[in-house]
Amino acid sequence: MVSPNPIPLIPPGPGIHDEMLDAEAAVRAHYRSYAEWLSGCSSDWMAGKRAEADLIFRRTGITFSIYGDDSGTERLIPSDVVPRIIPADEWRFLERGLAQRVTAINRFLADIYHGQDILRAGVIPSDQILVNDQYQVAMIGVKVPHDTYAHIVGVDIVRHSDGRYYVLEDNLRVPSGVSYMLSNRKMMMRLFPELFRRQAIEPVEHYPSLLLSTLRAAALVDDPVVVLLTPGRYNSAYFEHSFLAQQMGIELVEGQDLFVKDGYVYMRTTSGPQRVDVIYRRIDDSFLDPLAFRPDSMLGVPGLFSAYRLGHVVIANAIGTGVADDKSIYPYVPDMIRFYLGEEPLLANVPTWQCRKPDDLAHVLAHLPELVVKEVHGAGGYGMLVGPTSSRAEIDAFRKVLEANPSNYIAQPTLSLSSCPTFVEEGVAPRHIDLRPFVLVGREVRMVPGGLTRVALRKGSLVVNSSQGGGTKDTWVLADAGPEGDI
Amino acid sequence: MLSRVASNLYWMSRYLERAESMARILDVGQSLALLAGRSGDPRSAIEPLVITDTLDDFRAGGGMAAPEEVARFLAWDTRLASSIVNCLQTARENARSVRGSITSEMWENINDTWLQLQRHRAAGSPADSPFFEWVKERSHMFRGITGATLRQDQPYLFIRLGTFIERGDNTARILSVKQAPGSISPDDDSLSSYYSLSAVLRSVSAFEAYRDTYRDTIDARRVAELLIFDPRLPRSLRFCVEQVDQILQGLPENPGRLPRRLASILRSRLAYGVLDEVYAYGLHGFLERFLRENVRLGDALNTAYLELK
Repeated sequence: MVSPNPIPLIPPGPGIHDEMLDAEAAVRAHYRSYAEWLSGCSSDWMAGKRAEADLIFRRTGITFSIYGDDSGTERLIPSDVVPRIIPADEWRFLERGLAQRVTAINRFLADIYHGQDILRAGVIPSDQILVNDQYQVAMIGVKVPHDTYAHIVGVDIVRHSDGRYYVLEDNLRVPSGVSYMLSNRKMMMRLFPELFRRQAIEPVEHYPSLLLSTLRAAALVDDPVVVLLTPGRYNSAYFEHSFLAQQMGIELVEGQDLFVKDGYVYMRTTSGPQRVDVIYRRIDDSFLDPLAFRPDSMLGVPGLFSAYRLGHVVIANAIGTGVADDKSIYPYVPDMIRFYLGEEPLLANVPTWQCRKPDDLAHVLAHLPELVVKEVHGAGGYGMLVGPTSSRAEIDAFRKVLEANPSNYIAQPTLSLSSCPTFVEEGVAPRHIDLRPFVLVGREVRMVPGGLTRVALRKGSLVVNSSQGGGTKDTWVLADAGPEGDI
Repeated sequence: MLSRVASNLYWMSRYLERAESMARILDVGQSLALLAGRSGDPRSAIEPLVITDTLDDFRAGGGMAAPEEVARFLAWDTRLASSIVNCLQTARENARSVRGSITSEMWENINDTWLQLQRHRAAGSPADSPFFEWVKERSHMFRGITGATLRQDQPYLFIRLGTFIERGDNTARILSVKQAPGSISPDDDSLSSYYSLSAVLRSVSAFEAYRDTYRDTIDARRVAELLIFDPRLPRSLRFCVEQVDQILQGLPENPGRLPRRLASILRSRLAYGVLDEVYAYGLHGFLERFLRENVRLGDALNTAYLELK
């Protein structure tokens, strides 16, 4: 089947690992079935499909709002119609590596809020933890159920030109994006049912049910009441909060819906107060309880922390997990794995210079045009420098900021994120991508195959954040039928 | 269910119903204005403002009391809280904050209404019949989707509650303006009275019901009787109050004692009342009292179920 008007397929540039095409521009085994199908599609037809997808996304209100945009307009995160495909064996490797990493991080969090073995062993300098803004002193000695701190983790992974996967960051606070993973799949199955008949693709639709069982397992009581705590409808991820609550069949609550009485948490219902046992919170630590943290928080629940200390309510993720995904702690994760599990890390870290160290700072200042420099506590692609794509003036300006407060920054080599064919103006062209699998920690560590693939839609751009022109892609993990995958 | 969610659902449906009512009032007002000899009557031009209690707002805006101006104000003016555009916006905002409690079909419909409204606005749509028809149609559609897709437990009940509290209010207002002292007198059988009364009937979709019930010429007393006492007409006062009363039986009993009591009193007055008594009391006064009591009932159920204490 060859279309009279096939979509132009633009090959990747040199020195970049492309997910579909190898260095000789031949289609990799796990993309063969898809590429064959794609060669039979015309540009117009595909553009029609994309317009259909946009319309459905807009109708169903899958939008997000952007910080700093006063108009409060809702935008659509563009969803690309070309899937990112991961072979079964690669996913098995990622899954093992992620479980190992997240297990070690949970051990680390329990440790630093209790015995602090890792500090006493000198693996991590004490001052890196104890004076870290994200280290919650209030959590010292607080027993959390099952010693689980991070129940839901979104790990950002990229693939470098050497073809290897690297962990870019562990999002341990309130990682978002899973609703896009689910919506993308739903959309792709609606637009291209034939593709799912051609190939066996691992399902992801059971994520909400896995999440619910994770949250229920976090409780200490039988048949717990679980709620999702949202900052409210003006939050950029509100769509996701309401979507997940609906999918799990739990109440979507705001701070004002909850209150604490005699050490227990209740929600206000039309039949009177009802006890709450587990709170899946999508609010940052500092806003959770105005009595314990930021007194100006209007989003939290006064007294929540006292109920939490008493063990009368489970908060997922626990308070104080941010210290482990701080970029200044990130370089130590491989050491944590060795220290707690006695294993070698399966997933690699990106080499990282810590600007608070004078030697590292000197190296960074000398190599700014080649490096990516990030704020230690930053997120969302803000406040960072991407050396190779920045002008001289931008680099000079950033140098001043960096020199003024070096300990606020880390630097990493500019990874040439792998590219993936993406349907754009000029045809199907390579665009850079990352991957965020969602890891759930209940009685065991579980995840649905794949995760959210983010794509930098602008040619050559390495910034995949949705707030900065990024889009998303459906992520396929091929079922274990060998690399050919045909059924 | 969460009090806040119940409140959002209740107000979502009240605002949708209010948008629909506004469209009904304007639609009828406009078709009346087209009748020979009425276009110059300033009283008929401001009638929609009187019914919706917005005359002062309109005058503050300095608009000319012409039918088109009035319609544009009530339909499009974002400064007016109860304009159609604001009602639909508020309804959608309420729905948006409780998306988890309504079906995706309901959300898609109300969101699509809002998106289409943006296009109407951008295109500078006039406040005319096709637009009012559209508003009514969207409201009907949403109600239909709600009935066809939403499980009939508490969220459904609070949505219905909002509909009938708002609807009773609207019917009473229309009737009260049309039969107020100084308005067309009850025994006036001139042509303009005929059109005015049939307009009242059509504004609450009761023209056919009147014909089928009375099989006679349109008479002001019968119009009042139909819209107040008919037990089966979906927009009569009795029907609305009986719905509210019945819905309250399905909600948690303990917090609901006061609204239940108020609804029962109101219901028995309508279920066992007769028209002669109403006229003896004074129709206008009767309707004013109904409006006050309906507001008190709304306040009571707000305190019982919806407030965050």
